Amino acid sequence: MVFDAKNRMSHRTRFVLGIYALLAVPLGFLTVFVYLPFFWGFISSLYEFEIGAPARFVGLENYREFLFKDPVTWPSFLNMAFLAAWGVSVRLTVPLGVAKLIHTLGNERARHAYRILFLAPIVVPGVAIQLIWGIMVFSDRGLANEFLRLIGLGHLTPSWLTDPSSALIAIACIGFPWVGGFEVLIYYAGLSAIPESVNEAARLEGCAGLKKFFLIDVPMILGQMRLILILSIIGGVQTFENVLILTRGGPGFATTVPGLWMYYNAFSFQRMGYACAIGVTLFVLIFTLTALNLRYFKGAETLED
Amino acid sequence: MGLGFSKKATAPSAAKQRRHTERAAHGALLALGLLTLAPFFFVLDNSFRSTVELQRAFFGVPQAFTHMFSRTPVEVLDENLQRALIPPEKCFSYFLGEATRGYQLAREVLSAYLLHTFEVCLSVALGVVLMGSVVAYLLARYRFPGSRIVYFYIIATMMFPAVLMLVPSYMVVRELGLLNSFWALFFPYLAGGQVFAIFVFKGFFDGLPEELFESARLDGAGHFNLYTRIVLPLSKPVVSVVAIMTILGAWNNFMWPFVTNTDGSFHVIASGLFVMMRTPVAQNLGTIYAAYMLSSLPLLLLFIAATKPFIQGVTSGAFKA
Repeated sequence: MVFDAKNRMSHRTRFVLGIYALLAVPLGFLTVFVYLPFFWGFISSLYEFEIGAPARFVGLENYREFLFKDPVTWPSFLNMAFLAAWGVSVRLTVPLGVAKLIHTLGNERARHAYRILFLAPIVVPGVAIQLIWGIMVFSDRGLANEFLRLIGLGHLTPSWLTDPSSALIAIACIGFPWVGGFEVLIYYAGLSAIPESVNEAARLEGCAGLKKFFLIDVPMILGQMRLILILSIIGGVQTFENVLILTRGGPGFATTVPGLWMYYNAFSFQRMGYACAIGVTLFVLIFTLTALNLRYFKGAETLED
Repeated sequence: MGLGFSKKATAPSAAKQRRHTERAAHGALLALGLLTLAPFFFVLDNSFRSTVELQRAFFGVPQAFTHMFSRTPVEVLDENLQRALIPPEKCFSYFLGEATRGYQLAREVLSAYLLHTFEVCLSVALGVVLMGSVVAYLLARYRFPGSRIVYFYIIATMMFPAVLMLVPSYMVVRELGLLNSFWALFFPYLAGGQVFAIFVFKGFFDGLPEELFESARLDGAGHFNLYTRIVLPLSKPVVSVVAIMTILGAWNNFMWPFVTNTDGSFHVIASGLFVMMRTPVAQNLGTIYAAYMLSSLPLLLLFIAATKPFIQGVTSGAFKA
């Protein structure tokens, strides 16, 4: 019977069924561990979960509470905006300067060596970086305070991470000088892709140095800059690991960001529905900012053509 | 002013100017490189120093190193805080033990975490390469109904941000009863990691010339043989890029293992480091620094062994917006 049915299936049908049999496991994983959480996040955001009671449908109440009632919300968004704006500014400028410096070198081996040098810090796990800065740079006798004492500003030495006026700044300073990572490589690739004819034309016109950098190089690598901009914004909106590791959002709520508030609501207060509402809000924010970016920058690129 | 004249007149000074610019660039790059690497140098230095030394001064040559080669007896405090004299002939082995004391303590705590990390990283990398390459091969080289929808279904997940996924993913894994286990890390990493792999593999397979497959088919190669004999051997560079990026991602992920280990039984190195800071072991500062070194060493070795695919991977990984 089964044999008969198989025989009646055309070769083509069996071929397609074979392909879908191979796709079943990967797509199954994707459905259970990616799509299911994604939609469950939206649905859960409409419920209130209480320990020992069934989930209760509350409609948009979680969103109303987060956006209009929760006193933590707006300070946390301000902190996030500060850290994100800072992250975007340093990632758009410092690695670009370094990439340009490497690109000006005549020796190919030196250029290669510098690129490896600035990528190497990527092997240190992010959590180790945060902890290293916390214990080694920002502790009372850490690098930052020793440096202040060295240059005669010993009376300033703040207790960086536990002082509400300096904690956020300390977190922003982590990673100084912000060049260890993939950004240098991206900018370098962009600079290398500028056609020799363009560089030649600039040379003949006597356009060199900073003038050439701002008038020729920067407009030619807008694509790379857009990529870094989008990635930095996405990172800036959703990152809260650094805050959790270094200050746990404190002192008070001085360094709390929305992602961290989501984390606390989910894993400390067991308010899963409220946490999902925060997650969805951040998703909408990321989505909007990315869409705006793509649109705005597309305009700049067509102008250039 | 004629162009010819000015060129002649400025040629030597232009070369000189260029040399100056190069020298300035080298200076700036070296300074920035030093600033970038300085913290890691201090971590290395501090990992050999005792807590007492670390509290006395931020920077210094590890005392154990200087004592190792001492020609005169060195006075130390033993475990019971009694004074003891170490004779010169025993100095080397005694102080070698002292210098690496932090590493020994850190290893005791971290070896289980490191083992978990290796298990997760290697199995996920293997699974992602296997699943990703098969799916990408099917999507790139075969026409079948629904292939575009399948590709869209996979690629669309790249827009799901981690911050939105964290809490509901935890709820799914909890409902499936996977918390505190290898599977809590393995399944989600595999499911998410294959997306980037499919994206990279498909880009590569799309570019393979059709003649290659045509001639193999004429030689009687079946679908499976095409994949194992032609596709896999050709895509070795892409395989290493995908494997390295998967390992890097799994190694560095702190938040997910941290929240899914509610009883701490399956910590990996990233979450384990953070947990370790709250245990009594962390009283010994040298141990902490040794732990940071141990947590980066395997990736550093990977970086040295496979610099080229590493660089390619990191740059292609950046496009995984």
